[in-house]
Amino acid sequence: MSLLEVESINTLYGDSHVLFDVSLHVEENEVVALLGRNGAGKTTTLRTLMGALAPRSGTIRLDGRPIQGLPPEKIARVGMQLVPEERAVFGTLTVEENLRVARLTAPNGWSLDRVWEVFPRLKERRTSRGRTLSGGEQQMLAIARALIRDPRIILLDEPFEGLAPLIVQDLIALTRRLAEEGRTIVVVEQNVAAVLSFAQRVYGFNNGHVVYEGSAAALRADPAPMRAFMGLAA
Amino acid sequence: MPSTAVLLSQAFNGLALGSLLALVSSGLTIILGTLGVLNFAHGALFAVGAYTAFVMMQATQSFVLALLGGCAVMLIIGFAMERLVIRHFYARPDEDQILVTYGIGMVLVEGLRTWFGGNSQRVPVPSWGTGATKLGFLVYPTYRLQLIGIIAALLVGLYLVLYRTSVGLVVRAGIENAGMVGILGIDVRRTFLFVFAVGIVAVGLAGMLYAPVVAVTPDMGASFMVQSFVVIVLGGLGSFPGAIVGGLIAGEIISLTSAFNSAYSEVMLYGLMALVLVARPQGLFGTEGRV
Amino acid sequence: MLSRPLRAAWPELALLVVLLAAPVLLPPLGFSHDLLSRALNWALFGLGLDILFGLAGLLSFGQAAFYGAGGFVAAYLLVSGLVQSVWLAFLIGTLAAGLFGLAVGWLAVRRIGIYFAMITLAFGQMAYFVQNSPLSDYTGGENGIAGVPVPVIGFGASAVRITAGLPMYALLAATFFLGFVLARRIVHSPVGLILKAVKENTPRVAMLGHDVPAYKLAAFTIAALYAGLAGAMLGSFQSYMPPDAFALETSGQLVVQTIVGGVGTLVGPLVGAALWLWLRDNLQLIPGFGSLWKLILGVAFIGLVMGLRRGICGEILHRWRQRGEAARLRAAKARTEAIEAAAALGDAVPPHSPSEVALPEVTLPMPRPVIDGRTAHAEIALEAQGLARHYGGLKAVDGVSFQVRRGSIHAVIGPNGAGKSTLFKMLSDEVSPSAGAVLLFGEQLTGAGVTEATQRGVAKSNQLNQLFLNLTVRENLRVAALARARGRFRLDLLAPVQGRADVEAQVATMLGVLDLGMRAETRVGVLAYGEKRRLEIGMALATSPNVLLLDEPLAGMSPSERVATCALIRRIGRSCTILLVEHDLDAVFDLAERITVLSEGRLLADGPAEVVRRDPAVQKAYLGAAPDEAAGEGTAIVGAMHEPA
Repeated sequence: MSLLEVESINTLYGDSHVLFDVSLHVEENEVVALLGRNGAGKTTTLRTLMGALAPRSGTIRLDGRPIQGLPPEKIARVGMQLVPEERAVFGTLTVEENLRVARLTAPNGWSLDRVWEVFPRLKERRTSRGRTLSGGEQQMLAIARALIRDPRIILLDEPFEGLAPLIVQDLIALTRRLAEEGRTIVVVEQNVAAVLSFAQRVYGFNNGHVVYEGSAAALRADPAPMRAFMGLAA
Repeated sequence: MPSTAVLLSQAFNGLALGSLLALVSSGLTIILGTLGVLNFAHGALFAVGAYTAFVMMQATQSFVLALLGGCAVMLIIGFAMERLVIRHFYARPDEDQILVTYGIGMVLVEGLRTWFGGNSQRVPVPSWGTGATKLGFLVYPTYRLQLIGIIAALLVGLYLVLYRTSVGLVVRAGIENAGMVGILGIDVRRTFLFVFAVGIVAVGLAGMLYAPVVAVTPDMGASFMVQSFVVIVLGGLGSFPGAIVGGLIAGEIISLTSAFNSAYSEVMLYGLMALVLVARPQGLFGTEGRV
Repeated sequence: MLSRPLRAAWPELALLVVLLAAPVLLPPLGFSHDLLSRALNWALFGLGLDILFGLAGLLSFGQAAFYGAGGFVAAYLLVSGLVQSVWLAFLIGTLAAGLFGLAVGWLAVRRIGIYFAMITLAFGQMAYFVQNSPLSDYTGGENGIAGVPVPVIGFGASAVRITAGLPMYALLAATFFLGFVLARRIVHSPVGLILKAVKENTPRVAMLGHDVPAYKLAAFTIAALYAGLAGAMLGSFQSYMPPDAFALETSGQLVVQTIVGGVGTLVGPLVGAALWLWLRDNLQLIPGFGSLWKLILGVAFIGLVMGLRRGICGEILHRWRQRGEAARLRAAKARTEAIEAAAALGDAVPPHSPSEVALPEVTLPMPRPVIDGRTAHAEIALEAQGLARHYGGLKAVDGVSFQVRRGSIHAVIGPNGAGKSTLFKMLSDEVSPSAGAVLLFGEQLTGAGVTEATQRGVAKSNQLNQLFLNLTVRENLRVAALARARGRFRLDLLAPVQGRADVEAQVATMLGVLDLGMRAETRVGVLAYGEKRRLEIGMALATSPNVLLLDEPLAGMSPSERVATCALIRRIGRSCTILLVEHDLDAVFDLAERITVLSEGRLLADGPAEVVRRDPAVQKAYLGAAPDEAAGEGTAIVGAMHEPA
């Protein structure tokens, strides 16, 4: 049994049907990338997994337990943690307060000291308000806020978007380290090359359908299938 | 030009009124900031607080017991309002929220009128608050001084709850982004219930504390509500520090203007509000308006 | 059978019958002539609120300010002897309230929702206190003004005084009737349709080229005029002008009456007022019932807001209409389901395959804005000059320059976060650039605002549908076409909305172009997603633009719908310059002659489609770049890491 099993979910966003019978699975300690053009349904998939959107039909099981239709706070307590695209750092709260909010309902989560070890930069800025952080620092805080809860699965939505190249390198290194430590991660990212450097498996999305499934190694060796879902004609 | 003594005593009146407005407005503003609901029943709840003090005072003869009992009553009303009505309106347009809270306010006021009649009631000043106190430069009613102190203590208490407890942490996070709070495993609806009840207790306490100073009538809260709207516009919608500073500014404007010409005190207040809305719509402390 | 114009006027006729019959039939039921007169006065007051809230969606808690202003101005003029004629005093009072409304509205209409309610409430209170103290020499302060005379008809010995009772009822009934007829004309005028659209989706109305604040201010001022007239008549009819005309409770009572009676129905305020006054006058007489009536009314009001939101008249009208329209609605929904099912299955929905049918040019009946051919850049439709937009430290768009040739289909592409949406918003002047400018046929567009941009011939369709869901397809298109026909703002309150031949011809043409002819009278909320997407494009086109900006026109469409929409875009492109952002690159390379590529806020490539397609930098931007050697084989796809300059 996989850690996460998603069976033919359909999600509507307002009046538009966004996900069509999406099925996927994620094993323990695995890093899975969801790739596809903008608007292909990747972010919607993550938001549906987290419970921020309710699927119209289909099942989602985490550790064998059905979680579809539950509110986000219940799903978070089962061990799923989304790091949203817009980061959603609390701007009027300090770095430390941001982390403390996250830890409130995770009794077995990390200590602050453990977070400071992984993110020395955040320790330096622990009393700064979220809105004063740089984009890269905000992204680190967003990831740290997920890690402090010590979740079973982390969902990373576009972690490298809109950041300077040097910061992106730092974040790639961090993500790779998490992968090597055996964290289970589902990542959505446009920077395909970066993602393929640490992901083990890939799902390709197009128009709300899963159109490809394969190993990252295979894609690295032969990128041809990517044209079907990344969209640049040769 | 009024004498220094008149100005000083008016400044004190302004402080008393301002602190009261700060308490009323802080309840209004944390509800607005967290839940996004502008509570048009706030004035009615002020009156409910005052009547609760009246009933409890008659029953127990102790002002302190009356305050404690009153808080319990306000808490129950707050819970009931949120559970039965308000929570169904989080996703509805602003206009519907305003209308339904206005309706609740109407029902509460008319309920008071039906129960107690339209005539005004008196709540005695507590025994420890009678008489006047000499402050060297002026003689001032003791209870009004105590009122300022009690409200200051309550506001400090509210500050500590908001800024030093984990519940407060959740509330402040929720004001910014309730969705993300849910994603971090926290039941936002319970937080909303808590915030709403705290806001109702705050305005109820203001009504109870003010009851010994004025005639208690069913309509007594209306002007406080409108003034507290001005306060939160001045301070920035949803800002707790803004409610306190805005409350004090409003109180002083009303009191000091009436030292010169009482006819213009309220006019000045609304004039200032118009100015703020044109020049700085986000208020003194708001980073951005909700609209 | 009634003739056509008579049938169209059935609400007026029905009201006339009710107003004539009421003083005869209703008094035995507890409605005295005095009660009916007061109800009519409230109803006249409420007509204004119904236009403001029911039509334009603006909830005011400060209408008492204008009721009081009209009342006190008229009463003061009469009692002080400055004006002899009661009729003239009515007129001056009404106009004074209108002027006051214009001033308050100027501040208030820029805000919505909570802010709007609070501003109106605060100005209402301010007016109350101004009457009460600073102006008490004129207004009598807390005492009000007593001895306001009643109006007189005729001169000298033959003059008739309109006294309380039946004569006053007749006067108020006649005034309300005229007010109602006028209000209905306003509702069915172009201004009425635009206000309805404002209530549904304010930003879209502005995008279509209508001056939204001006229309809202018009509604606000109309409401104040109604309130002023009602206030002026109040003093005269009870020969006393009470200060509580200015009170908050007056504004509140008006809101409650209007909602209970049925907002947006124009007769709702009358029914609500009659009910309120009847309950008060009759229930108060029952011992032990005293103030209970208002409590009961309050509970009923909460129930109405929570559940049945239409109010008494609204509910009756709704049920009446539903009877006739239920079958049509069912048919419309069935069609929608069929279209969506077909789209989900991937079947081709259009009855004819568009690629095989010869595609005629789209000729719009309404002229596009004239382009001055003498200017140097007449062949460059749109030009971005060093456009930049910074949000804090983030440079969403950073110095982008390119040109869109007249008559071409031009695409902007780029990976997520490249700044396309921000760029597009600057091109239509929804967002002002931090630096740089947009030129339309060589003339500066930047700084004009989105409404003016549309008026000058740049229209935009949105990535997410911005339609008026409760209006029909025809009405949606009409709102768009009216913007071209009438300009930014026009106060044609009495013109019928379907009265412009050019607008109707434009709408008819658009219905054909969009293949929505069968859906013309269907509420847009019921349409299938693909139809809504088509209409979204059609709304922009219906403003007869020279340049059409399409933001992800294919978003969310099924494959067959994509084919049909691409054909539509190509058709439109024969007579109109098109600039589009789209993620479906197959469609982009199929449609566009020239392509501009953005990456990380900067211009990466710009040129003919074939050249851009082969550009290695573009490929790299799309697949991303590995940051270091550890990316291993990842680099094999995209080549060595190379940051675009």
